[in-house]
Order: sequence, then C-alpha cells, then structure tokens
Amino acid sequence: MMSARGQEAGSPTPGEGGGERALFSALLEDSAEDLYENAPCGYLSTLLDGQIAKINNTLLGWLGYTRDELVGLRTFSDLLTVGGRLYHETHFAPLLMMQGEVGGVALELRTAAGERLPVLVTSTIKYGADRQPQLIRTTIFDASDRRAYEQELLRARQEADRERDRLQRLVATLQHSLLPSSLPEVDGLQSAAYYHIASRDEVGGDFYDLFPLSRERWGFFLGDVCGKGAAAAAVTSLIRYTLRAAAVYDPDPVTVLETLNTVMQHEYRGDDPRYCTAIFGILTRDGDGFTIDLAGGGHPPCLLLRADGTADFQHTPNGMLIGMLSPAVFTATTIRLAPGDTLLLYTDGLIEARTTGALNAEVDDDRYGDEALHAFARALAPTTAQQAVAALADLLRGFGAGLDDDTALLALHVPVTERPAERGAP
Amino acid sequence: MTPLALTLHTVEHAVVLRLSGELDHHTAPLVLEKLKTITLVRDRPFILDLDQLTFCDSSGIAALIAARNHAIAATTTLALVAVPHVVSRTFRLTGLDRILDAYPTVEAAAQAGGSVPS
Repeated sequence: MMSARGQEAGSPTPGEGGGERALFSALLEDSAEDLYENAPCGYLSTLLDGQIAKINNTLLGWLGYTRDELVGLRTFSDLLTVGGRLYHETHFAPLLMMQGEVGGVALELRTAAGERLPVLVTSTIKYGADRQPQLIRTTIFDASDRRAYEQELLRARQEADRERDRLQRLVATLQHSLLPSSLPEVDGLQSAAYYHIASRDEVGGDFYDLFPLSRERWGFFLGDVCGKGAAAAAVTSLIRYTLRAAAVYDPDPVTVLETLNTVMQHEYRGDDPRYCTAIFGILTRDGDGFTIDLAGGGHPPCLLLRADGTADFQHTPNGMLIGMLSPAVFTATTIRLAPGDTLLLYTDGLIEARTTGALNAEVDDDRYGDEALHAFARALAPTTAQQAVAALADLLRGFGAGLDDDTALLALHVPVTERPAERGAP
Repeated sequence: MTPLALTLHTVEHAVVLRLSGELDHHTAPLVLEKLKTITLVRDRPFILDLDQLTFCDSSGIAALIAARNHAIAATTTLALVAVPHVVSRTFRLTGLDRILDAYPTVEAAAQAGGSVPS
C-alpha cells in the first residue's frame, strides 16, 4: 500500500499547472523512502519466524532502540509485554497464518526504557509468486490516548457497578428488615411464607407477619403498600409496628385496621397520602384446630383450602383501602381452620401477573386473575402450608417477566395428628 | 408495558381527562404529574374517562384518589365515566366505588356533576 502511494506521488501529473503540482507533490512526499521512515505510524517487516527484517524510524523513536539493536537480532514478540507476547503467540500469530491478515488488535509494546506503550497492531502476510508466504508486514498505531480513555471508561463502569452492588445490598437488607426473619413456632399450626422481589434496585411494599399475643392466641397479617421505593418502605415499617401494637391493645381485627387507618391518615396527610391494603387475623386455639377472626381492607380475599379437597375465597366484604377515608369501614368474618385445612393469603402481584409474558401487552385479558387462582387452589387442596407456598412459588417463577410486582404469600395449616384429643384446650 | 395516554378536553362545563392504557406503578406518576397542570374551579366538575383503561393496580387506585383530592381542594366533584369491567372489581375491593360516582357517559357525568360531594 505505502509503496504504491509512493510511486503515485513520484510521477507528476502532466498538463496545465503540472510544474506546480510536481512541486507540491515533492513537498508532500518527496520519496517513498521518506514516507516509510517518517510516517505517523510504525512500520515493521518480519520474517515468518518473527525475526525483525525492517523497521521504520518512527517505531524506533517510540521504542528508544537503534536499528542495529533490533534488525536480525530480535523478534516482534520480543518487543511485547509478557501478556502481549502470550496473546500474540496464542491468538494473533495463528490467526494471521490462517487468514493472511489481522487488524486493529490492541497490544502493549515495551520500550527500551521499560515503559509500556499501548498500540493498535495490523499485520498482513506478503506472498511470493508461488503463493508461498514470504514475510509479515505490520503497521503500529500509538493508542496511548485511546487506552487512557478506555481505562477511564472502565474505571467509571467499575465505580457504577460498585454503586449498584451497594444499592442492591442496601435494598436487600432493608427488605429483610421489613419481613420476619422466620415465622414463630405455633403448637399445632404449620406456617410458611414466601416473598418474591420484583426489583433488586427498589424496595417493595408487600409485608406479612405472624406473632404471639398470648399462649392461645396469635396475630397475623399480610398486605401491600401502594407504591414502591424508600418512601413505601418507611410506610411498611410504620404499618408493621402499628398492627402489632394495636393487636396487643385490642385484638379485634376491625379495631386493629381502624387504628392503622387513623395512624396512616395522621401520618400521611396533605400532598403525599399513602394507602395500603391488608388482611389482619387473630388465631385462637379451638379444640383440634383454630378459630380465625379476619378483617380486610381493600385486599384480595384469602383462600381456604380444606381437608376435603374443596377451596374457596374467604371474603371480608366492604373493607376499604386503608388510609383513604376517615372514618373507614372494615368488616370482620370468622372461619375455622380444622385439621388438614390451609389458609392462604397473597398480594395482588399473584393475580395481576401477566400469563403471556410482559412483552405481549396487546392481549387485553392476559392477567392470571382470581378464577385461575381459584382453580389452582382447588387442584392443590388438600395441602399443607409448605406445599401450598412451594406450589405457588413455582407458579410465580413460571410467570417470568410477566410478574413485575412484588408478591408475598403466607400460608397457615393445621396438620392432621393421629391423636387430636391431646391437642385440646387446657 | 402498555404506555398510558392522557388527553385533556372539556365537555360542556366539565374538565375531562381521558386515560387510555394501563394505570399501574409505572404509569401512575404520569397522572400525578398531569394533575398538577390541571386547574379546577368550583362548579366545573372534573371527570375521568376510563373507557380505554385496561388495567388498574393499587398504585393506580392511589392516583385516582389523588384526582379526587384535587377536585375536593377546588370545591368541585370528581366523577368516573365508563368504568371497564376489568377494573371494576379492584374498585369494589378497595371501596373506591363507594367514594366516587360513576356514570355511563361523559355527558351524563357532566350533567350530574358539580354538586357538593357527598
């Protein structure tokens, strides 16, 4: 390539203004030799074994060697850093032999003073008339500026990665602090819970808990704060402590939700109102099972999966979104959890998950929905707390990208015992 | 995600905001931003046309309550129009159907609206 350009420059164009042009060309590139030696890039010719046969002044200047120190004595790979040499031997040279040319490879040269010089290397093989390879021609561009830029980009990216990791750790920690680390052991009751985190960058607003009120009585709740992020997490924290404290003071589920409604109205008035949906319940030991007093505020109804294989929604009708109005209306319902029965609470992420994948938003009614959940529960019953939660966690995983909201599950189950009489009230 | 489109117009003396698409935790902030730009006055009812609403989650409900509070602050009313079947269940579940009046058409809502909220 360079010799061809040299020849073109050496043959002045005849015709009008020819003398001027010749002068101009002479000024530009007076000889191919000068262009070769002082080109703005390094030129290097090596034998097939890598031995340096020819090298231009530019490259000698960059490296700080004289021609006599290199030609016939050193190979191209001698000029590379250890890492570069390894890459050259294992990738560059074999690829060059196979393809006849290799372009734009970033390597590092080591100068006579021991400094590293980042370069971009392009090599081609020169073939003889017999189509046999004769020698390797290499051009070398100084890539110091480019390398510095790349390193700056890399550093910025590593910094961003570290920041993201920090944020995700913080979010995970915060999320854990809003959920019980483990559910308490309740004699004669099996419980299980699951939390699907939709985003690793944002704290979700779903919550649940199971906690003792006396030897024979436990409180539990599950709910969902409208919204996400740090603000929702603060609301979640307030809700948890309010529900637990209110239940100690007066364990009537309707009163507990009314108290939460009042607290949320007081805390979040004005421009930043906050709401949540929740089901709150009190478990009271009752012979071989439990009596459950439930109240709901704007929350999807829980499911009772019975020992006989039936399953039904347990509605708490007319319960309002909590924090919306003062005073609000909540209603209670009482159910019995007999041996073999399982009560399942869930948040709306489950029924609002897209069943056709998040990308297919064209279908109008592609949400999982309560009818599908009802059918799923009927197929599952009778079940246990662990089995129910495991089956639903599998279902949630199956939604893949269709599930873009946090989802909490809580299941309570009375195991069938061989001698239920021993589990009677004291 | 289906984006939510918001269009504002007036019908008779009523201010009508039309919501087309999905109202969820991704799109609810758009409604809250839009509300800030809407000036309501007494006796000019505020109407949300939900005919083209395809989904509404709890964040969406919160945005609708914000619209109601915006109307109350201007001493006018908020009415919902053409509540789709797919979201009416959520409205019932949260009690929203008990605090907001719903009408089949914008015209019916405009005729009825503007009175003091019950």
